[in-house]
Amino acid sequence: MSIEQKTPIFEVNNLNLTLKGQDILTDISLKIFSSEYIAIIGPNGGGKTTLVKMLLGLDKPTSGEIKIFGKKLKNFKEWYKIGYVPQRVSLVDTSFPASVEDVVKMGRISQQKLFSFKSSEEDKHIIKEVMQTMDVYDLKHKMVGTLSGGQRQRVMIARALASKPEILILDEPNTGVDVVSQQKFYKLLAKLNREKKITIVFITHDIGVIADDIKRLFTINQKAVICNDPKKILSCDEISKIYGVKSHLLHNHQHEH
Amino acid sequence: MIEMLSYDFMQRAFLAGIIIAVLASISGTFVVLKRYSMMGETLAHSSLVGVAVGLVAGYSPFWMAVAVAVLCAWLIEYLRSHFSLYSDSVLAILLSGSLAIAVIIVSLGGAFNNSLFTYLFGSILSVSSEDILVISIFGIISLIILLVFSKELYFIAYDEEVAKTSGIKVKLLNFLFVTVIAIIIALSIRVVGSLLIGALMVIPTVCALQYKFGFFKTALLSVLFAIVSVISGMTFSYYFSLPSGATIVLSILFIFVISLMVNKQ
Repeated sequence: MSIEQKTPIFEVNNLNLTLKGQDILTDISLKIFSSEYIAIIGPNGGGKTTLVKMLLGLDKPTSGEIKIFGKKLKNFKEWYKIGYVPQRVSLVDTSFPASVEDVVKMGRISQQKLFSFKSSEEDKHIIKEVMQTMDVYDLKHKMVGTLSGGQRQRVMIARALASKPEILILDEPNTGVDVVSQQKFYKLLAKLNREKKITIVFITHDIGVIADDIKRLFTINQKAVICNDPKKILSCDEISKIYGVKSHLLHNHQHEH
Repeated sequence: MIEMLSYDFMQRAFLAGIIIAVLASISGTFVVLKRYSMMGETLAHSSLVGVAVGLVAGYSPFWMAVAVAVLCAWLIEYLRSHFSLYSDSVLAILLSGSLAIAVIIVSLGGAFNNSLFTYLFGSILSVSSEDILVISIFGIISLIILLVFSKELYFIAYDEEVAKTSGIKVKLLNFLFVTVIAIIIALSIRVVGSLLIGALMVIPTVCALQYKFGFFKTALLSVLFAIVSVISGMTFSYYFSLPSGATIVLSILFIFVISLMVNKQ
């Protein structure tokens, strides 16, 4: 079965958002399929985070349709299938009384019953497994506020993975993370995509981070342009146009080789 | 201490004070973590409007306080969730505005007497057995609600947006939470006063946070601090003939200073 015949995880048709007379997003249509590794890039203020928030039901579009796993957004209930790591990982309140384990446990809450004050054996197993996957198991008793940016980022992803999602959406995950941690992080994402078949959607304003593993690229700057082969990013004239900085693209392309 | 406890009114005062210390500090843990501290103060003052209406119109000031505090809590939560209007200034306007309205209602009604002062500063020594029964019943219901949804409320306090995207009914739980907070505040103002309930709600948790424990230990520690400050505050009040609300708050402030010093890095 070709990829186009499957029900997409996300299907967006003719999405528009106008705020106070200003067009924020115009006529966005895209599909995200199972097991894909996608990057959504675009300049700051181009509407990437707004698009993601609409996909997750946090913001409402002016017009257009969003379907998740084939269901209309308002009828979709299985939110545990979607793991979301928001932009402000580095801005989390450092005095909040939460250990690494407490935060990762949050990822299981929506699937637990009321009055269940102790984690089930299954929950404990999953929590341990995702902490090990994200290499934070040894930190489980540490307070999240005391961790480095890179460690905190892995904890947030472990929490998103704890609900056993089919798709992981990461919004600017590298904010406040050092370069070494970033490299490690890309390898982990590629591994999750390859081995656990988790769909990855990676949002960034920095086109330099685009790794070899990314199969498709959406560029958002009010409008969307889809490039099905990121290796040929230079020949995607539209992307260069929409991004507005062709020399920047050239520079990073050279870096990749 | 034993002599003090030989009086019925002191026994009732201690019982009411401890119940309110537990209620205020447990709910206060969520209030502080959700950054709703200012909201506690605002609801305490808005419930005075209910007291004023009750005093003037001849209804029960207590039930009117509950009704007005709950309505005000819903209004604040509605403004916050629909219009992102949750700045300190909006709360400050509601806080001082409701105090002004309460004073005017009482003055116009010719009922500006000790009754309003009772609700402003509390009257822990005039607590009746009936008061204790009402506080206990509603207090237990409120605690059960907080306990049942504690995991969800903790998640929402940590990251409301992610809690929402993981399928938790954030809007509904936030409304339920502010309703419970409004009820606890309205229950407490008769005993500790609207000017002081905010302190009993917020400061024990702020003290406990200084020790950098996880959530459960922080909540337990804040309950302990609140109970200790109520008992010591009331004891000072008895032996030095000082208003109990003020001695309770000074006791918590003392614990706060000690906590800051102990945890100074």
